[in-house]
Amino acid sequence: MKIIESTKIKEKAYFEKLENGLNIIIIPKQNTNKKYVIWGTNFGSIDNRFIMPQTNEEVFIPDGVAHFLEHKMFEQENGTNSLDVLMALGLDANAYTTNDHTAYLFECSSDKFYEGLDELMNYVQNPYFTNENVEKEKGIIGQEIMMYDDDPGFKLYLNTMDCLYHKNPVKLDIAGTIESISKINPDVLYKCYNTFYHPSNMTLVVCGDFKPEDLLEEIKRRLQPKENQGEIKRIYESEDETINKKSKETNMEVSTPIFMIGIKDKLPDSDEIVKKHIAIEILLNMLIGKSSDLYKELYNSGDLLSEPDLDYEFSKLYAHILVGGQSKNPELVYEKFKGEISKFKKNGLDEGHFERIKRKIYGDYVVEYNSVAEIARMFLADSFKGINSFDYIEKFNTVTREYAEQILNQVFSEDRMAISIIRPK
Amino acid sequence: MNYKKEELKQGITLHKINTNKFKTNLFAVFLTTKLDRESVTKNALLAAVLRRGTKKMPTQEEISINLENMYGASFDCGVEKTGDNQILKFYLESINNEFLPSQENVSKECLEILFDIVFNPFLEDSKLKQEYVDREKENLKQIIQGKIDNKSKYAYDRCIEEMYKDAPYGLYKFGYIDDLEHINAQNLYDHYRELMKSAKIDIFVSGDLNEQISNEIKNNEIIKNLQGRTPQYNVNVENESKPRISEPRVISESMQVTQGKLILGLDVLNNKKEGKYWTSVYNVILGGSANSKMFQNVREKASLAYSAGSTYLRQKDNIFIKCGIDIPNYEKTLELIKEQLKQMENGEFTEEDIDNAKLLIASSVGSIPEAQDSEITYYFSQELSDEFISIEDYIKRINEVTKEQILDIAKNVQINTIYFLKD
Repeated sequence: MKIIESTKIKEKAYFEKLENGLNIIIIPKQNTNKKYVIWGTNFGSIDNRFIMPQTNEEVFIPDGVAHFLEHKMFEQENGTNSLDVLMALGLDANAYTTNDHTAYLFECSSDKFYEGLDELMNYVQNPYFTNENVEKEKGIIGQEIMMYDDDPGFKLYLNTMDCLYHKNPVKLDIAGTIESISKINPDVLYKCYNTFYHPSNMTLVVCGDFKPEDLLEEIKRRLQPKENQGEIKRIYESEDETINKKSKETNMEVSTPIFMIGIKDKLPDSDEIVKKHIAIEILLNMLIGKSSDLYKELYNSGDLLSEPDLDYEFSKLYAHILVGGQSKNPELVYEKFKGEISKFKKNGLDEGHFERIKRKIYGDYVVEYNSVAEIARMFLADSFKGINSFDYIEKFNTVTREYAEQILNQVFSEDRMAISIIRPK
Repeated sequence: MNYKKEELKQGITLHKINTNKFKTNLFAVFLTTKLDRESVTKNALLAAVLRRGTKKMPTQEEISINLENMYGASFDCGVEKTGDNQILKFYLESINNEFLPSQENVSKECLEILFDIVFNPFLEDSKLKQEYVDREKENLKQIIQGKIDNKSKYAYDRCIEEMYKDAPYGLYKFGYIDDLEHINAQNLYDHYRELMKSAKIDIFVSGDLNEQISNEIKNNEIIKNLQGRTPQYNVNVENESKPRISEPRVISESMQVTQGKLILGLDVLNNKKEGKYWTSVYNVILGGSANSKMFQNVREKASLAYSAGSTYLRQKDNIFIKCGIDIPNYEKTLELIKEQLKQMENGEFTEEDIDNAKLLIASSVGSIPEAQDSEITYYFSQELSDEFISIEDYIKRINEVTKEQILDIAKNVQINTIYFLKD
């Protein structure tokens, strides 16, 4: 196993790639009773067209399949439901689907870890889809989709994606629509399962008080033999760098308007991405974070109630900055934000301010190592982006003020900026 | 045990949790006072105004700049209701000195900032700063109006409001817009001074801390200047008698929603101290896990809901069943829920169900020490109650619950209120 250590935060991670292609990451952590395991496949809502390596068949799938598949994985041929089995062991089990991956997990604070691992590794390797159980799930997922329909924050996000992207599937609802899921059947689920749930497309991460070598053996013992598989070809429509529309508004039952400013970025370069991510987080905090001049002004005028959420999201297929918040006057916030960017570009970054925010961001990264769950989820999500999570701590000092200024000029461009607003009815 | 407490003065308690599980230290100050209509809005506003500035750091920006310099120490505050008390909570989390890139002692400075915010507010003309009070009144108004934004939460709050109509627990923790109008910088400051004399004060420190920290707190000038007090708060009453009612109240309200939110507020009648543990197990079997009757029968078998479950509100002995459903399925879902309650009463659950429920509670209670804020919250709830139960004892008591005891609860559960939010 390859061992990477972060001396700054005193943690180690063990990396192993098995012969069948499965990636395993173990982060041993003493002084904790909690153990967390998460097994993910690099298959999310954006993967809706691909070529199956086994047959070379090109497959188009309805929107929402990755999420539907996640729901159906728990059902077993012997009539049991693995979620129930894990819960019955007192384990906190769950699963989720994102744009670029699907993950199955449980958290354990008792001595039932290996019993749980038996069940987890068994159900993820043994799908059981029938016409009947697939039909039944449509009702439940239909309710889930409707629940999100009433969620203004969710709508706000989707509208932002619609502004930024022309065809990129990141603009689709992860769960699909009532209409798209009606087309899902066992055949399509099996095709996706057989393609994407191959070990070579998966990563398993464990965090807790373990001896990595022993744990690795335990994992290997639970793997079922599978023939090697070639690369999966994913087909995405090409997306140009322009944005789809400048703004989008929807009326919903909210008390105060909510807004999200999006900035579309070029597809990330994997060598640079961590450094760029750190620089963007620093810049966003300098522009409109808690101690910024702009936030002070907008707070005092009553145009912002609390500091906005600042985010940089990316995968191999998309990258964008998001600034979201609540304001009775979103247009004003948007104009002022753009004005602040121009000012920063013109005047350059203040050294003291830059160094102070850099310290803050460092602290934010360290805090993420407080919980085994966060550590494991972070390593999994980062691994699908080709990143080793420790790099955020290790590459920290390479982010200079000059570099941040360069990113400011490259990325924060008005041509690629849009705003989505949800207003009260 | 890693937990120790010490009374600094009457009504002022220091709680110390020693733990090496985290990269951070968490410090907290809680001010506890009786929940009542008279002061609920003032308290909510006060928490917001205090964070605006102190005598040493007159503006919010100065506070933020200081915190950022300490590697992004983060301050947070808010109000909560626990039983019939309103709690003003102030937290400060900072990186443990060991994990800083350079040798510094940020812990001591963080504690000082936290005390400064709570006990040393910025004053102008011998009262709170007018500008801050006005701005925070405006903000609080928007927060109160924002009650409708999260529909599930709104339905739940409304159900509680109806169940506790003229009682303290029915109050909204952020207060009322009508009351805001009468608050100004002077009467809010008067209220603050009153609160400082009468509130129960709890100071929590959690982290990999040495003995020095207790001394630092005791010798802190601000803490030294605080007066002892007979704290005005409600010790959580263990037996609140609830009347038996013949028919539940049914309330239905309309709002623009695509999914209906159904909430059933249940009373647990004649509950005894030990009965709280029995009720916890009862609740998990009814709706507290993926194996529960609610999840299995309402969601999985009948496919009526995506969210279907129940939670037990320990301090008030209420269980709340919550479902998100298709609006026309109201009657059908309600019948099915009643059937689940009937099944519980008839003892239609197995020893295995009981064991599973116990395991689940034990594992969730067992993981309390894995998060600093949840560990603080646990010890604080012990502090508010009239007895101290360690986490180990808590689990032990759960494990001793029998089927008969669960049946005893099942027979004493009544539906008090049915609340439905529809289009």
